[in-house]
Amino acid sequence: MTMLIHFLQALMIVFGAPLLRGVVSKMKARIQRRQGASIWRPYADLGKLFRKEDLVPPLASPVFRAAPRGVFCATTVAVLLIPVFRPAALLGGPGDFVLLVSLLALARFCLVLGGMDGGGAFGGMGGSREALVSALAEAPFLLGLTAVSILARSTQLARIVDWTLRQNFFDISAVHILALSTLAMVAIAETGRIPVDNPTTHLELTMIHEAMVLEHSGPSLAFLEWANSVKLGLIMSLLIGLFFPWGMAAEPSLLAIALAVAAYLVKMLALALILALVESSIAKMRMYAVPDFLGVASATGVLAVVFTVFGGR
Amino acid sequence: MTGLIRFSFLACLVAFLGVVPTAWLAARSRRWNWLPATVLMVSLLLGISVAGVQVWSVTPLKLDLSKVTPFAFALEIDRLAAFFLFLVCGVALPVILYAWSYLPRHYSKAEAQWIWALCSLFLLSMVLVVVAATAFSFLIGWELMTLLSAALILVDGNSQERLHNLFIYLVMMHAGAAAVAASFFAFLPVSGDLYFSSLRASSLLLTPGTRTAIFLLAFVGFGTKAGIIPLHLWLPRAHPIAPTPVSALMSGLMLKTAVYGFIRFSFDFLGGGPVWAGYLVLIAGAVSGVLGVLYAIGEHDLKRLLAYHSIENIGIIYMGLGAALIFLANQSPAWAVLALVAALFHTLNHALFKSLLFLGAGAIADATHTLDIDELGGLLNRLPITGATFLVGCVSIVGLPLFNGFVSELLTFQSFLAGSTLTALPPRIILPLMAGVLALIGGLAAACFAKVYGVAFLGRPRSSAAESAREVPQGMLGGMSLLALACIVLGIFPTPVLKPLIALAQTLVPAASLPTEVTGIQRILVPTAVAVLGLALLTMVAGFKRRVTSPWACGLPGLTTRMQYTSTAFSKPIRWVFSAVYKPDRRLAVLPAGRPYFPSSISYSSVRTTSYERFLYRPMTNAVVALATQLRRLQTGNIQVYLLYIFLTLVALLAVVGLRK
Repeated sequence: MTMLIHFLQALMIVFGAPLLRGVVSKMKARIQRRQGASIWRPYADLGKLFRKEDLVPPLASPVFRAAPRGVFCATTVAVLLIPVFRPAALLGGPGDFVLLVSLLALARFCLVLGGMDGGGAFGGMGGSREALVSALAEAPFLLGLTAVSILARSTQLARIVDWTLRQNFFDISAVHILALSTLAMVAIAETGRIPVDNPTTHLELTMIHEAMVLEHSGPSLAFLEWANSVKLGLIMSLLIGLFFPWGMAAEPSLLAIALAVAAYLVKMLALALILALVESSIAKMRMYAVPDFLGVASATGVLAVVFTVFGGR
Repeated sequence: MTGLIRFSFLACLVAFLGVVPTAWLAARSRRWNWLPATVLMVSLLLGISVAGVQVWSVTPLKLDLSKVTPFAFALEIDRLAAFFLFLVCGVALPVILYAWSYLPRHYSKAEAQWIWALCSLFLLSMVLVVVAATAFSFLIGWELMTLLSAALILVDGNSQERLHNLFIYLVMMHAGAAAVAASFFAFLPVSGDLYFSSLRASSLLLTPGTRTAIFLLAFVGFGTKAGIIPLHLWLPRAHPIAPTPVSALMSGLMLKTAVYGFIRFSFDFLGGGPVWAGYLVLIAGAVSGVLGVLYAIGEHDLKRLLAYHSIENIGIIYMGLGAALIFLANQSPAWAVLALVAALFHTLNHALFKSLLFLGAGAIADATHTLDIDELGGLLNRLPITGATFLVGCVSIVGLPLFNGFVSELLTFQSFLAGSTLTALPPRIILPLMAGVLALIGGLAAACFAKVYGVAFLGRPRSSAAESAREVPQGMLGGMSLLALACIVLGIFPTPVLKPLIALAQTLVPAASLPTEVTGIQRILVPTAVAVLGLALLTMVAGFKRRVTSPWACGLPGLTTRMQYTSTAFSKPIRWVFSAVYKPDRRLAVLPAGRPYFPSSISYSSVRTTSYERFLYRPMTNAVVALATQLRRLQTGNIQVYLLYIFLTLVALLAVVGLRK
């Protein structure tokens, strides 16, 4: 029964992720006084791409087609580590948050290799930029997670969430605020949203993710787009679990689970709205301002870890 | 049983020596071509089996040869020695398999004879270092290791530049060896002799000052061999110029003997140390890790890039050792065991994937005759097996999940996080912050190897050499495949290696309970691997159609290779962000100077100027030379003066003896 719930919560992120993306774009469109596409649009796009064929450059190696699938697999398996409805997940153990970060790194490594195999200029360009952003984002990502794990005295995501769930919301410490701001900045960089990257642009001067996937088409592109949505859903769920777990089902009763699903959807909507507001009100940074942005994230991450010594209850 | 093990160990040592005459034989007659490699592999197999038995055994295997040598010469295989013996023999085996088909392709018979003989003695010297039980046998092995590797480098040629690099290597190695010898001799007043058992027993009787001196000398001595920054100067010079299998042995194994020596001194002899010693090792490791990977990103010569990554990985190992020392000093032995296991496991992992990558570099050079990755490209289609194994090496060294580098980095992470459970304030802040440093190193390493693999193996060939590359012969592929297989297996099923490592760490750190972080790691790795592979299978089975067609070229007739990002272009953003580390010296010359808008030629150059030579080594060598110049005044060449020296020495000696009574 519990296994089933854990499996379902992962399935929901994987299959609900395109919807999340549709909702965010719809919200953005309405904030910008546009009608916008339907929130089901991403599913239609994926369906269309899956029905097409992979176009492969003549000199490309098998990596060109394997990489998008690798990105999808690594991202999807990372979802299995995330507690969503209950403070527990299908996979987990001591130090599993390091595994989470590393699985996302594995996905990124595949993505960069896939981009560079296209043999054009854009793959390398996007790969080079992605390598910079991810190299600088990995340290704050782990520092933020480290800070909350020290407070919860556990290195297992599910236990950390469980611990937070048992705290009073108003007892929240400075560490949580610092870690939240660190991870929020990292989340923007990791998912390639404004102000770090613009998911809707194809401008050479600024694009990162779009440059890497430019040569991919058909099912390969579908896997990449899907994985990208899953990653967004994953990181937003992670933030919810770590910082706003209240509402999760502590015990596996049907009512508690139903309430947890409702609470999760509300929290997700709120986070999507915040994301849409941020994306509509902030301009994208210059490429070379991104290191400063991630430097700030690293600094708050360091502070969060340092404050665990003084502020951690 | 012990008799059998003792016999096989002796046979292993003799077989190493036996390679020398067989190499001579092989150079004379074609019929004996197979002999040196076979004998060497047999001795390595014997070494592996002895180590495999001894790593589980509580009682060490002892072998005292003092009767036949002028100084005390004893060998002993305890658990620590057995692990490193396993590492040396186990990793050397695929390298030798590779060398078997590599050497005839690149060297004349006479040269191959020298390489076989020297290589076998080089391996014997490393075995000697890790099984030595007296300072004498250790130092003999240590010195031979330096000299034999230098000789192996000389087989490849003796141009002026190589000799200069070799000279730097030898000078630094001997400075380090002097520090190691001094740290042994510092025990003497208390211990009486230089048997390791006496050193261990006497360490509690040492004064704190002597302990400090011994620790610092061992840190500098072994740190020089390990390539800790700023003692790394020789490493990117010496490793790339050796014959490929020797590069693999130097980077994969020789550096590990330094790790062995440091563990032997700091954990076995001294039994830990003050807290500052732990911080010293930790910070040295962190600095080497970050700077090593940053220097590697700036390189586009494959072997030199890999040499810089050795510095980075030694840094990660030292970070684990430093954490272990800190935990020991803070009385939490269980976490010290975790950190020590992490460091030891990373030592093994680095030996595996670094040898693999160096062999891969050799295969690339074999197929394309260049190591400049900006000249390569699209190699995966032409060298499929080399490309696949090299990819395994890249993913392992970066520390991505399902490969062995991840397991040891995860353990290191966990030991850092455990720092928050200590009672003292400084380690509670510093150790968790090191998790961030390790993440930074990992992120940068990922960038670097995405660059290496993307530029060398993917995309379009950038030169005709890369275009006409042919896959290397099966022996070379076999060696690389064995190493790649080991990387994958240990990445998913690490427990068979972790168990003996825990036992080993518990002998070094007495009274330690078992941390669950170490034992439980496989329980999360296997399901992850199953999930990833299952999903991958699903996406493959789905069987989507594909069509080969040229990509859109922005309206141009077609894409050319010049349009691809080179390794220099790829690493540009990172070099820009960390320009303070590289201190690039950029020169832009526009000719003629009077017409800025219509130049006839523009030249641009950019060199890294972070020069340890200029700021650290030049003053030191200047001081040594100045001192030597002063000392030369003693040498007048006048016989009366020399007689005076003898007389004065005699008087001084008599005075000392007289005063003592």
